Amino acid sequence: MNRKIFIATGVTAALSACSPLGTKLNDNATFKKVLESAEGVNRRLIGTRGRVREYSQADISPDFPVNSLDTPSDAIYTMLTRHAFAPYRLVIDGAVEHPQRFSLAQLQHLMTITQVTRHDCVEGWSAIAQWQGVRLADVLATALPKPQARYVVFHTFDRDADGMPYYESLSLEQAAHPQTLLALRQNGKPITPDRGAPVRLTVPTQLGYKSAKWVQRVEVVADLSRLYGGKGGYWEDQGYEWYAGI
Amino acid sequence: MDRGKLVYRHSAATRVTHWLFFIAFLALISSGLQIFNAAPFLDASDKTDPHHRVFAVQAPRQDVGTVTVFGRAFTTSGWLGWTDDGMGAKGARAFPGWITIPAYQDLASGRRWHLFFAWLMIVCGAAYLVWGFTRGDLRELVLTRADLPKIWPMQLYYLRLRDAPPPHGKYNPLQKLAYTTVLFVFAPLIVLSGLALSPGFDAWAPWLTQMFGGRQFARLWHFVLMLALIGFFVAHVLLVMTTGVFNHLRSMLTGWYRLGSHES
Repeated sequence: MNRKIFIATGVTAALSACSPLGTKLNDNATFKKVLESAEGVNRRLIGTRGRVREYSQADISPDFPVNSLDTPSDAIYTMLTRHAFAPYRLVIDGAVEHPQRFSLAQLQHLMTITQVTRHDCVEGWSAIAQWQGVRLADVLATALPKPQARYVVFHTFDRDADGMPYYESLSLEQAAHPQTLLALRQNGKPITPDRGAPVRLTVPTQLGYKSAKWVQRVEVVADLSRLYGGKGGYWEDQGYEWYAGI
Repeated sequence: MDRGKLVYRHSAATRVTHWLFFIAFLALISSGLQIFNAAPFLDASDKTDPHHRVFAVQAPRQDVGTVTVFGRAFTTSGWLGWTDDGMGAKGARAFPGWITIPAYQDLASGRRWHLFFAWLMIVCGAAYLVWGFTRGDLRELVLTRADLPKIWPMQLYYLRLRDAPPPHGKYNPLQKLAYTTVLFVFAPLIVLSGLALSPGFDAWAPWLTQMFGGRQFARLWHFVLMLALIGFFVAHVLLVMTTGVFNHLRSMLTGWYRLGSHES
């Protein structure tokens, strides 16, 4: 019987060592590299294939969570809200043949897509909304990306408490996905300032942090390493996966 | 003491995958609970919907933790809801720091662990199944039609209502039932319900997410399957402990198992 108590103690000790050991290993740079290897597998195997399900109006979530940094409070954004975004220009530049500037009126004129899709947050919740906007692919096509173009970076009006800008990026393939939109309207109304006005991204094939709000500038680049933390996004620089399809 | 004959019971492949399964299992549960903590509720629906909430862990106020199951609330202060924050204090947190990886709240790291060990588990599982079927080891473990009438007598034996177990091979009919359920029902379902949470995979195979009743419902399935696998794990450890723990440990480490007097 003593043996059994001994073993039971051993099993309990092994199980309770799991969290401290894992926490310690989590700080090990080599081990981190090993863990991060899964991202490449997911990117290659799951990738960006097919189209997500589109829902009906009846499926729309009554309360779409506002889950982001605070609404931008800088002088430019405040000025834009005061003028109903009339002076707003969406800039498309970087590795493109023809840099573009779109006013909100021009974007509204190009607005052709209406889709009701589910937004899956990395935290685990999901919300369904109707989005109306422009296909990112169509906007990019007007600027004509150069042959060296690999990624599309989204610069926003958003800053965290330390002044760090919120930015995001997609591969050209993800940017060309027919359900990747620059949205102007949510649930039939212009997007409100707390939800990313005047233009936000919606990428239903990826987790929510990819769908940047308050998009100001779309920059086409050959690589992501020279931007901020070098990982291709605000959350990516803090350890989240660049490939957010899972 | 009657010492039975030593037999070579577990192949190297079985032993290696067994311990890798064990490591991956612990890592997946600890990191899975870390991920759960970021949205500590489970809904039987596609989108998040409090009207279909089945399970929630909350901290309604300072020092109080509750677990709500099908609308019925239980106070779990100190254990769930308001508990160890992994940094030496207590705070609003669904599962305590001593059970999660990392101990403190860190969704990004939890996801890294979970997605890495999920692949390790899948690769190991596939290797184990291919190896088991080609070598024939699995034939002794998989439940067959001939085992079905022996399940109840075996149960009676375990309940001490029968003197001897029904005649069986290396594994008894209840063991076969348990292993078959875990290998061919729970394991595939927990992998599929996990994949159903992936928006990228959902774009590729939307039928999978719908098969589980939607994305939030797939989270619920994933969680319940984890509980089922923990149940199997607890039963497995208890049975190992009560039927000659050192013999079992030796056989799973070296391959050699000493037969009991009624075994051949």
